[in-house]
Amino acid sequence: MKTNQEDLIRYKDGNLYCELADVWIDPSKPVKRALITHAHFDHFTFGCEEYLSTNETAILLKERVGDNIEIKTFDYGEEFKINGINISFHPSGHILGSSQISFIFAEEKWLISGDFKLQKDETCKKYEIVKTDYLISECTFGLPIFKWDETNKVANNISKWIINSPEKTSLLFCYSLGKAQRLLNEISQTDFKGNIYSHSSIYKMNNCYKELGIDIKNTIKIENKKQLDELKGSLILLPPSLSKGSYLKNFKNIQTAFASGWMSIRALRKRSGYDKGFAISDHADWDGILEVIKKSEAKNVFFHHGDSEALSKYLVSKESINVLSFGK
Amino acid sequence: MSLKKFSELFGDLDSINSTNNKIEVLKNYFLSNEPIDNSWAIYLLTGKSNKRFISGRYLKNLFSQIYEYPQWLIDTCYLKVGDSAEVITLLLKNKTTKKNKKLSNISLNELLSKTIPELSKLNEEEKNLEIKNIWESLPEDNHLIFNKILTGTFRIGVSIGLITKSISKLINIDEEIISHRLMGCFKPSVDSYEFLINKNINLEELNSKPFPFLLANTFEDKIFKHSINDFQFEWKYDGIRIQLIKRSGNISLWTRGQELVNESFPELVEKISYLKDDFVLDGELLVWNFKDQIAFDFSSLQKRLNRKSPSRSIQIKYPIIFIAYDLLEINGRDIREITLENRRIKLEKYFSKWRNKTDNNINDIFRICDLIYPKDWTDALTLKEKSRENNTEGLIIKKKTSVYSSGRKKGIWWKYKVDPMQLDAVLIYAKGGSGRRAGLYTDYSFALWKDQELIKFASAYSGLTNIEIKELDKWIRKNTIEKFGPVRSLKPEMVFEISFEKIQTSKRHKSGIAVRFPRITKWRKDKKINDADSLENAYELMKKIS
Repeated sequence: MKTNQEDLIRYKDGNLYCELADVWIDPSKPVKRALITHAHFDHFTFGCEEYLSTNETAILLKERVGDNIEIKTFDYGEEFKINGINISFHPSGHILGSSQISFIFAEEKWLISGDFKLQKDETCKKYEIVKTDYLISECTFGLPIFKWDETNKVANNISKWIINSPEKTSLLFCYSLGKAQRLLNEISQTDFKGNIYSHSSIYKMNNCYKELGIDIKNTIKIENKKQLDELKGSLILLPPSLSKGSYLKNFKNIQTAFASGWMSIRALRKRSGYDKGFAISDHADWDGILEVIKKSEAKNVFFHHGDSEALSKYLVSKESINVLSFGK
Repeated sequence: MSLKKFSELFGDLDSINSTNNKIEVLKNYFLSNEPIDNSWAIYLLTGKSNKRFISGRYLKNLFSQIYEYPQWLIDTCYLKVGDSAEVITLLLKNKTTKKNKKLSNISLNELLSKTIPELSKLNEEEKNLEIKNIWESLPEDNHLIFNKILTGTFRIGVSIGLITKSISKLINIDEEIISHRLMGCFKPSVDSYEFLINKNINLEELNSKPFPFLLANTFEDKIFKHSINDFQFEWKYDGIRIQLIKRSGNISLWTRGQELVNESFPELVEKISYLKDDFVLDGELLVWNFKDQIAFDFSSLQKRLNRKSPSRSIQIKYPIIFIAYDLLEINGRDIREITLENRRIKLEKYFSKWRNKTDNNINDIFRICDLIYPKDWTDALTLKEKSRENNTEGLIIKKKTSVYSSGRKKGIWWKYKVDPMQLDAVLIYAKGGSGRRAGLYTDYSFALWKDQELIKFASAYSGLTNIEIKELDKWIRKNTIEKFGPVRSLKPEMVFEISFEKIQTSKRHKSGIAVRFPRITKWRKDKKINDADSLENAYELMKKIS
């Protein structure tokens, strides 16, 4: 086995780094050249000299952080070369524009899965199976207790939750980018036909999705606080950051829910302080991670993001897959 | 109606925070379901005497066997979830492939009075097969309820009080009556439900049941404004609260947890049976040190509580005493509505009558509590501080003009506990919590200095705020020295103020001491580990008290 220093991609200062190409993947501090897998803020940092991403990711990022960053964009599947290494973006199914990144050098294939999911999501491209020798996978939900329900089952539950409390305003908390748009798309296909309002941070992302050709339901932007007491029977999408603090005081007679994969566990649901939890995630569940590992045909797997102890032990003992750890 | 409906009720109650809404949901459930299933629902929700058919460990082993699942993986999942029934439910998802869910419409009654009791009759192999079969025949949404019934773990924030309120609303009868009817052993049956919702109050039926307990509130400073003469003072004993009922020759000992404990204390039942009158007494049961005339520690009482039909030698080794502090009913007359002052007069009068019949010889097992007479509030405070000397927890203060109502009614009884003892200790181990605290490190062990070494002296899990718990959890993950299963040993760095009620020598512990009710009262971020207390300090504290 090779030493860490010789690996095409390794951990450096807590980030994924490809030395031969001198590129960093979703770096957390300013670097010369950054490959961005998707437009969530925990995968982006200001101050890099050059950013590379898919077209959609670039547009979403600029909408969020402003126009004055340089981003070189590529289509899914389009190969480009840096220092002789072939690099390409492939759909990861996480959110619009999200990607896995493939590195090929001297016939050795490396794949960074990025954040990914296999479940139905009509607001972004489906996860593409990419064969590889080395796979670096996320492991946010790396325990078998995480098994997602079908997306439309969750959406129907949300719809029932709203419809069964017509005298209340239903506040659904969800991440502004990705989750909110996926929920909008799904909820519009359920029995709930009432008004949907969006917080401005979500509204902005909705528009961006629409401009990129994604068909999602129109929502009403929450403009001022006056209208807030006339909202009973309708659904309001809010970012989780507003669940604590004074914002909720604007509403009368509400019920609250949080849409997140963590909500599949009762203890976490109770601790979260929301009335209800809907377990829906843009990350892969246990079976999803296993499926990707198998279909990628990778002989060697690394994990980052999340607690991978159990999954690693399982792969080694049950599936005879080599799990490597990054030297830190 | 069905298990399915009950599963939905469980889901609804679990996702409602408002008490009023919960009551509304329960009321509607009772209205729309059969009496027998309602009866089972009440039985399950109040967790009255939920029987455990199999242990959580057994359930996990069984799943591991059937689905060839590594045990360690189930255990890892458990750390995140904190409830065996729920872990197995989550793992069962998509595992049961049978299309024909023939138990889709099984009634709660059939499941609880037939299917599950029949499981207990099977040998292990048959039982395992049958559980697997039930899993496969039940819709997934009902697995959690089934697993929870199997393992006897229903804790979902539905208190007896809540059930009482919903039934009371349902039939428009005072909560006291319902709470009265719900006391004691609730046997699920059509009759017991119909008795519960009976609009006619039948005194005879209510006779065998205890009165709802009147509970003391925490002391409030505003009481100082009142004259000391308005109140009756008693020592606060550290035993178990008991309502002792003798009606038409039948004796019942009820705990506050509504358990009938006659079998654990046969010598008391026997002695009481010699008395001629009928009565209901409220009092404290203790294991008594007859030499020094003080109570033994609670741990001695536990030796008696956990044992049914104690042997003669146990009865001698841990002699019990019942100390009555109130008389609620005498020869069929409910006197809860007369004032405490007058109830006390009656209690004293009857007690002296009973005691003077020498053949009763009740002195060594049944007394009435002594009253204390502080001159003024300063004197009361001084007495409170002395309470450790007689192994009590402080004072109970009762308004002389009060009547005996139920529950934690304000402005009637107060407990005035002696200030806790405290030591500053170093956090050395952390363990994952369960239930609501699953996935977080919330069970902590603390150490004191002995020379240059830190010796574990207490474990505590309560006292931190949720924000502090999260912060500490983060710190723990970053400062782990070693992991042993769910336990992590930690870099000694954090100092906490630990408060406790009692300190005594113990051979079982390496530190040589044991403390009661240890809890965290302050995160001493201002202190370095060298500022923490030593075992020496703990011994001194112990000397000071004894």
